[in-house]
Amino acid sequence: MRILRYSFQNAIKSIWREKWLNLLAVLSVSIGLSILGAFVIITLNLDSVLHRWSKSFGMVVYMNRELSREREDALEKYFKQDADVAGVKYISKEQALKEVRQVLGSNALIVDGVEENPLPSSFELTLKSELLEPAVVKNKAAQIKMMSGVEEIQYGEKWLSSLNTVSGAMKLGAVFLGFGIFTAVTFITYSTIKIFFYRRRDEIETLKLLGATRSFIRIPFMIEAFFIGFIGGVIGALATYGAYSFASLRIVEFMPAMKTNIAPMPLSAYALIPFCGAVMSIIGSLVAVGKIKY
Amino acid sequence: MIMFDEVTKAYEKEHVFKNISFSIGTGELAFITGPSGAGKTTLLKLIYGAEGPDSGQIVVGDWVVSKLKQKTIPSLRQNIGVVFQDFRLLSNKTVFDNVALALSIHGRHHHEIRERVNAVLKEIKLIHKANVFPQYLSGGEQQRAVIARAMVSKPMILLADEPTGNLDPGNADVVMNLFRDINARGTTVLIATHNEGLYRGTGKRVFFINNKYIEKEYTA
Ligand SMILES: Nc1ncnc2c1ncn2[C@@H]1O[C@H](COP(=O)(O)OP(=O)(O)O)[C@@H](O)[C@H]1O
Ligand SMILES: [Mg+2]
Repeated sequence: MRILRYSFQNAIKSIWREKWLNLLAVLSVSIGLSILGAFVIITLNLDSVLHRWSKSFGMVVYMNRELSREREDALEKYFKQDADVAGVKYISKEQALKEVRQVLGSNALIVDGVEENPLPSSFELTLKSELLEPAVVKNKAAQIKMMSGVEEIQYGEKWLSSLNTVSGAMKLGAVFLGFGIFTAVTFITYSTIKIFFYRRRDEIETLKLLGATRSFIRIPFMIEAFFIGFIGGVIGALATYGAYSFASLRIVEFMPAMKTNIAPMPLSAYALIPFCGAVMSIIGSLVAVGKIKY
Repeated sequence: MIMFDEVTKAYEKEHVFKNISFSIGTGELAFITGPSGAGKTTLLKLIYGAEGPDSGQIVVGDWVVSKLKQKTIPSLRQNIGVVFQDFRLLSNKTVFDNVALALSIHGRHHHEIRERVNAVLKEIKLIHKANVFPQYLSGGEQQRAVIARAMVSKPMILLADEPTGNLDPGNADVVMNLFRDINARGTTVLIATHNEGLYRGTGKRVFFINNKYIEKEYTA
């Protein structure tokens, strides 16, 4: 505790004495962390869009046109009991025709001439979102198609697999970017602390001769690194939040429908940015100070 | 308190000492002398672990310095006050803070630090320069500041390397009296000097180093 008091006084003095170099480091760290924050927000938003899309993903199961009403009811019951299915919607032949008419609007006359309803009845099945893996969906579809009375099945196979690829790529990108930013922030603090350490090497030599322990020598540099990382992180978090608020305002202005689609980053995630900055910087400072030899 | 047994020390291939042995008792005040380059500074460095011997054993208090682990060096040095030949005062700290540093390193409480530092600066007649930076002190004042830093923690052992090298005779007497006082309070004191006037007639033991050996050991 007493060593901490001395270390804090020393660190604060050093922060002030080297204010320009420290400011530069703080700003560099904050830029790095803002980039990371922005990427996380973009990823979150894309992910939430993907999630919404995949929620609305369904399979349309077309019935054999000659199928009896009883058999259709039995199928409906079966689908409703299926643990993989989240929602079942029955669309009768008549309803299907009505929908076609609606879509055609004033051109509906075309279908008016048709004597018998040519459309099949169908089920729209929504699968549980955790099952929305292309392979799983494909399996399920094949399984349903085997059932008697099922004529045809349609689902967004291509969509699903490309969505999956996009989401996978984004997660991989986040990992890489995160690692890159981690290295960058650590390196920024490493170089800064290395300079301070080098400038103070005579003083450190004297401290060692006076009996200073390794922690006594290290802790002021760690405090300074904490300051760089933490303040850099606070600025980075504020910048990210500002940019996010501004961007979402503009997006809503141009596309009011997007309003409900914008996924904010939880406040706890903003709080995490300074913490990450501090950890990265302290690691950088430990590497910079290195092993202290007497 | 300090024991050298068959100690050999060389820099690169140039020997400074060959198999020297001597010991200094607890509470003793002794001198090391010899021509410039004889190895006085090196001998002190061996005691506080800034240099290691090539062979032989060095024991200081409870520490076998010749076999000391890196981790244990701070605790050895915290028990030894050193008056460095080149002072090693930190230029960005005032006299007060330079002296206080020795106690901060020991993890002492800041109230205690303030009291101890003020007391020592008073004793050494440097209290009026407490808030001055070292570069604005005279040579004698700098010398006294270094002594203040070495004695402030009441170490078991005090090593002084040419402590009167920069002083006029009057100041040298002041400093020598200070060492005698410190010694009287129980600290073992070892002074390296080539200034014969410092030890003549003191009745203390003198080790004369020359040509890689302790050539003479006598009572002044
Ligand atoms: N770090 C060192 N590297 C190489 N030689 C050294 C080093 N320190 C001292 N020496 C040499 O060791 C000898 C003893 O030096 P030193 O202990 O400083 O003598 P003194 O203090 O008696 O004048 C000298 O010849 C000096 O040049
Ligand atoms: Mg010397």
